[in-house]
Amino acid sequence: MFSRLARPLCRHAVCVPSRALATEAIDSKVPYRPPRSSAKPILYTSVILNRAPILTPSPTVFERAFYAYQQRIRRALHNPFPTDFYFKPGSLLESHFNVEERYRERIAWGPNYVKDENVSAESKASEQSAFDQMAMQEQSDDRLMPRVHPADAARDYQSLDRKGRRNLYLLVRDVEDGKAAWGFPRGPAQDGELLHQAAQRHFLAKCGNHMDSWIVARKPIGMYKRQSPTPTPQDITFFFKAHIMAGQVHPGLSVKEFVWVTKQEIRTRVARDYWEGVKDMLSDH
Amino acid sequence: MSQRHPPRRVARSLMRFGRPPPVKKPLQRNWRTRLPIPHVNIIGREFAPSRLEDHYHATLEDNAMYMTYIHESTPRPPPRQIRLTYDPSNPYARFRHNPPVGGDQLGKKPPPPDTPANVVRLEKIVLHSFMKQAIGSRLQLLGLIMAMRALSGETERGAGKHAVQGVQIVRGKKSVGGWIRPNIPVGAKVELRGAPMYDFLAQLVEFVLPRLKDFPGIMLPPPGVSLHSPSAVSGVVSIGLPPTAMPFFPQIEVNVDAYPRPYGMHVHFVTNATGVGAENRARALLSGFMLPFTRHS
Repeated sequence: MFSRLARPLCRHAVCVPSRALATEAIDSKVPYRPPRSSAKPILYTSVILNRAPILTPSPTVFERAFYAYQQRIRRALHNPFPTDFYFKPGSLLESHFNVEERYRERIAWGPNYVKDENVSAESKASEQSAFDQMAMQEQSDDRLMPRVHPADAARDYQSLDRKGRRNLYLLVRDVEDGKAAWGFPRGPAQDGELLHQAAQRHFLAKCGNHMDSWIVARKPIGMYKRQSPTPTPQDITFFFKAHIMAGQVHPGLSVKEFVWVTKQEIRTRVARDYWEGVKDMLSDH
Repeated sequence: MSQRHPPRRVARSLMRFGRPPPVKKPLQRNWRTRLPIPHVNIIGREFAPSRLEDHYHATLEDNAMYMTYIHESTPRPPPRQIRLTYDPSNPYARFRHNPPVGGDQLGKKPPPPDTPANVVRLEKIVLHSFMKQAIGSRLQLLGLIMAMRALSGETERGAGKHAVQGVQIVRGKKSVGGWIRPNIPVGAKVELRGAPMYDFLAQLVEFVLPRLKDFPGIMLPPPGVSLHSPSAVSGVVSIGLPPTAMPFFPQIEVNVDAYPRPYGMHVHFVTNATGVGAENRARALLSGFMLPFTRHS
């Protein structure tokens, strides 16, 4: 009875969690009422240029322990490996595989688990010398690269190699109306111009064309209304997502500075209400 | 109290396991195999992070949503009732086959409204191979089954999961004179889900397709083709791999000589997309996994 009850529960609990999307609609409790004005709002377009993660995420301590446990279960329950299907019986490759397999068993189950095979010391030594020779022949210069780039250590915010495990976003310090502020590159749309075309035009003007980039969709991924106390024409920004594949930003005239930053680092740079407007468009990964 | 029982140190490393607990009461054993029967059903889960799955959640899922999103400002109107199709209070209609008027309109159904839960995603990959020689002699299938097992790594009820079917035998359905008879084994197929599915996709994209000769990419249908055909609305992308592609899979490459001949196969990428334009949405997703698509020139 218990097992019949417990099983569906278990299955439910371990089913793949649906990870939250970067942009999920949130319903704010207090709707923001902009001050009324008769003038037409000014439409701006802005591009969120993203560098996707170039490294796999590091597993957490829990994940590592879970994977190690699952590997042990897998090792305990797997079907027997058909050695004679993959290796010629009695070949050097087969004994090499067996030695490596014994080593892996010892790692998984501890030193006492694997029984010593009864072979003479001479044959063991000759086998070992053959393995060493094989290792010498197969030696390659491939080495694992470190997961932390020198740009991370140097705090080089303009490098595209920093924070390989995270999504990076381009943030520029742009001069508008004589004031410089951090934000995503943006510019006004002209009359009769489509929003995604305006986005592309301003993007190329502000960031240069020395990069291989791709604007993901023609639809805006989000919108931000700047709050202003005076009833001036309303200022509405539509955001488009883009990816950088190669190259680097060459900032235009009005851009003072640019950085490649993660979501959390954006928060410390931009104004409060701008952050509230854009935070749900950015990825936590 | 706390002095008598100081907090014990946690294990030095979570990857290393200490001595197993002492056995107080031996486990029951299967009378035939003499193997111990564990107290619980042991089910193997993911044993390593999956690179492509992480890529999907970190990048592709957002992009797929932005590319396939259709904005609907108002909720959809209910479907027009031409005639009452099913009246549960009517004892005549209750347990009778009662199809909707005018068919189920499979090719005309719009995709369901876009929500964060139904962003297009890969559900499974099905490898399928038909073998003509197996009609004459079913022994010919053994090499194909072995190749499928090596390719997919799937076994029946592998890791204690009851839904994993492993390599299945495909049998004939119809009787066609001089060719095929019902219920004779003529091929093999295997379904891949989860981490093995993403592993297979990575191998296909990184080892096999770049090494195929004269492979321009997966051909897109010509521009005039109907968007309402069953294949266009089912969210499945199917490709064929020639027999020359099989030796390029790394699992096969290590001992190509062990297989009697190279086998070709159909690869079906099954996504959760449905409705009009589902195949295009599935293609958009697969191109994010770097599967190349080209047009007829």
